[in-house]
Amino acid sequence: MHAYANPARFLAIARPLTPWLLGLGMALLFAGAWAGLVLVPGDYKQGETARILYVHVPSAWLGMGGWSGLAVAGLVQLVWRHPLAGIAARAIAVPGMLFTALCLATGSIWGKPTWGTWWEWDGRMTSMLVLLFLYAGFVALTMGDEGGRQGGTLPRGAAVYALVGAVNIPIINRSVVWWNSLHQGPSITMRGSSIDGALLWPLGLTLLGFSLLFGAIVLMRMRRIIADNRVTARLRRMADEED
Amino acid sequence: MTGVISEGDQWAYVAAAYGLAALLTGAVLWHSWRAMTKAERRSDALRKDRGR
Repeated sequence: MHAYANPARFLAIARPLTPWLLGLGMALLFAGAWAGLVLVPGDYKQGETARILYVHVPSAWLGMGGWSGLAVAGLVQLVWRHPLAGIAARAIAVPGMLFTALCLATGSIWGKPTWGTWWEWDGRMTSMLVLLFLYAGFVALTMGDEGGRQGGTLPRGAAVYALVGAVNIPIINRSVVWWNSLHQGPSITMRGSSIDGALLWPLGLTLLGFSLLFGAIVLMRMRRIIADNRVTARLRRMADEED
Repeated sequence: MTGVISEGDQWAYVAAAYGLAALLTGAVLWHSWRAMTKAERRSDALRKDRGR
């Protein structure tokens, strides 16, 4: 892992990888969305609205996966002081927050025709809303810290915050089991899926497509932070030489 | 739910969800790409300038 602590070595991998992730992600996403909208039949109970599944589930996956990545990056920075960990955490925060918001919004749009309400303060929706607020807190903590941006490292408090916030991830995951909820129980578990195969396969495409795009977005944002850091360092050196 | 809400109305909810997903994903992709290319161009220009 420390072999990639050097930003130059990281960039040698990230630069060619970014367009591949982008291209493959978009292709899979378009294929999955096309299949979800056109090829598969509507659900026998929910009708056409069940097609929202193909954008709702990947956005939930990315919101939760994003915070898991944030927590790992926080841990890596606290323990090993890996210089790219803070940069990765900063790069994940905004897209993670956005996909959490998208999960809540698409869930709400799905909820209205299915449950008859846009919102219900049940375990799943409330814990997901807490995740959105956690992201907003992290973004606020790190964006206000311009000094810490040099080198990209996180303030210690932000790294600890990312770790503590990870407690919410298993709560979101188990919320539909622990509490009575309008939200359906877990459909896909280690034991299999309660969704029929005829409806399930486009979800694999959109899940993978969204995940690859998320990877591309994070790489692009990491590259932007590294480039900004280099500019700051060069300008500082130039100013020092002039003195 | 079929029978309670018409098929046309159901498609309106589907369109809203997919439209929002496309809009937000497209916006964050475009913003990230634009910020990255701008920052890397600036960094490269400064490096070349220093190389002279």
